[in-house]
Amino acid sequence: MTCDECQENISRFLDNELDETSSMSVQTHISLCAECAKICEDFAVILDSCNGGKPSELLPPNSQALWCRINNIIESEAKREPVAPEPPKRWFGRSFTLSQVGSAVLGIAVISSLLTIVGIKNYYEPTAEDYTSRSNASQTTFEKVLSKVGLTDTPQQARMRRLQEQQAAIDYWNKRVQARREQWDNNMRDAFDRNLREFDQAVEEYTLILQQDPQDDLSGEMLDSALNEKMNLLRAFSEL
Amino acid sequence: MICSLNKISRILIAAKTTILLCLSVVFFFAPLVQEVSAQRSFSKTYPATKNVRLQLLNRSGTVTVEGWDRQEINISAYLEAPAANIVPQSLSGTILIDLVKDNQGRNGIGNVNFRIRVPRMANVDIETRIGNLSVTNVSGGLVRAFITTEGDITLTNITAGAVDAQNGIGDIFFDGEMRGGGQYRFTSMRGNINLRIPFESSFRLVATAPSTRNISLGSFASSEMSFVGDGRRVAGRFGSGSSSLTVTNQRGSIAFIRR
Repeated sequence: MTCDECQENISRFLDNELDETSSMSVQTHISLCAECAKICEDFAVILDSCNGGKPSELLPPNSQALWCRINNIIESEAKREPVAPEPPKRWFGRSFTLSQVGSAVLGIAVISSLLTIVGIKNYYEPTAEDYTSRSNASQTTFEKVLSKVGLTDTPQQARMRRLQEQQAAIDYWNKRVQARREQWDNNMRDAFDRNLREFDQAVEEYTLILQQDPQDDLSGEMLDSALNEKMNLLRAFSEL
Repeated sequence: MICSLNKISRILIAAKTTILLCLSVVFFFAPLVQEVSAQRSFSKTYPATKNVRLQLLNRSGTVTVEGWDRQEINISAYLEAPAANIVPQSLSGTILIDLVKDNQGRNGIGNVNFRIRVPRMANVDIETRIGNLSVTNVSGGLVRAFITTEGDITLTNITAGAVDAQNGIGDIFFDGEMRGGGQYRFTSMRGNINLRIPFESSFRLVATAPSTRNISLGSFASSEMSFVGDGRRVAGRFGSGSSSLTVTNQRGSIAFIRR
């Protein structure tokens, strides 16, 4: 899920209007993205204050008198500044005829439509899996051009960025687990430790392979999967 | 006089021996009695709608789900001491049991072992932190079995439209049929994944065992299957490829068995 999609859904997420899958996606994204988490928090505070505050607290004292004063100020300022007629607009220091402007707009529209069609044909929205599993070979020409220009990440850069995000989330859940683990019984603690060791070994193995061969997309994909599962393990045990 | 004293002392010794014997018997059986009284049981039956969904989240213990021919869900649970709280909820076609939520903040809760019977067409979504999961005779839209850490997953006689089984350390065994257009996913960290399916099955396969490279296709090996990434992955199509099958075992083996 992208930040835009997440932010679009935050309001409905807080109102519990999303289905289970979308709600989980928003929750996962918020746990990974500090910016969206902050926005979600702000929304929640606003909602809380709206729900909790009495209507009388939201109105200023003597609100009618306040409105009268605001009206007076607006009216007096409107009288003070007579509207001067605007001079005819000039572009690039010279004036154009209507037909010239029209044909220019038409030209821009045709060119941008063609670019959009070419773009759509060559591009599709990459998913989180694509960031880790797609190789240079499977990139479309459009993506290659964009990454060369520096507008998008190469698969390796995208993978690094995602790994950093995952590591941040793992650190967060790990802190919560450390605060809780004293309360688990021995069986639970041993099982958790054994599984965590298993994930750590896998992560270490794939990291080593990727250091030797950064183009090994399969190891990149497996590393992503192992980190995701480690994050899920920590999140699940932080609730116990 | 001496004779009667001897008699009394012999009677005293016999009484002492009897008391000692009785006490030893009591102490021998005491832990068993305590064990029996420590285990509590729970049982409840709910009427089921056509596409009823069972959603269970357990902390530790085994969960066995069986499909049956009645339109009701029967939940039996055996709770080891200290007994967990169980508060099942019936919410618009879903029977929800969340032991993590129901016991939040409680320490050292005993295992809860479930035996649940559901209509064959039910959707089953079961999850546990530790323990074995088993699902039998279910043909609904979804069977999901998830173990956060350790435990085996056994899915037998399953004909669900979507199956998702995942564990950390432990084996996964699937014995069932794959529906056209269905989605099947099996994921493990360490263990053996064994899939027993009919030869008439049709699927697009991505099977990955990066650490062991131990992927055995058995009868399902064909020219349309190819090993990629130095034998770490097998990808391809079997039959018309109408369903999707993804198998990942990070540090274990994958084997296909003809049903």
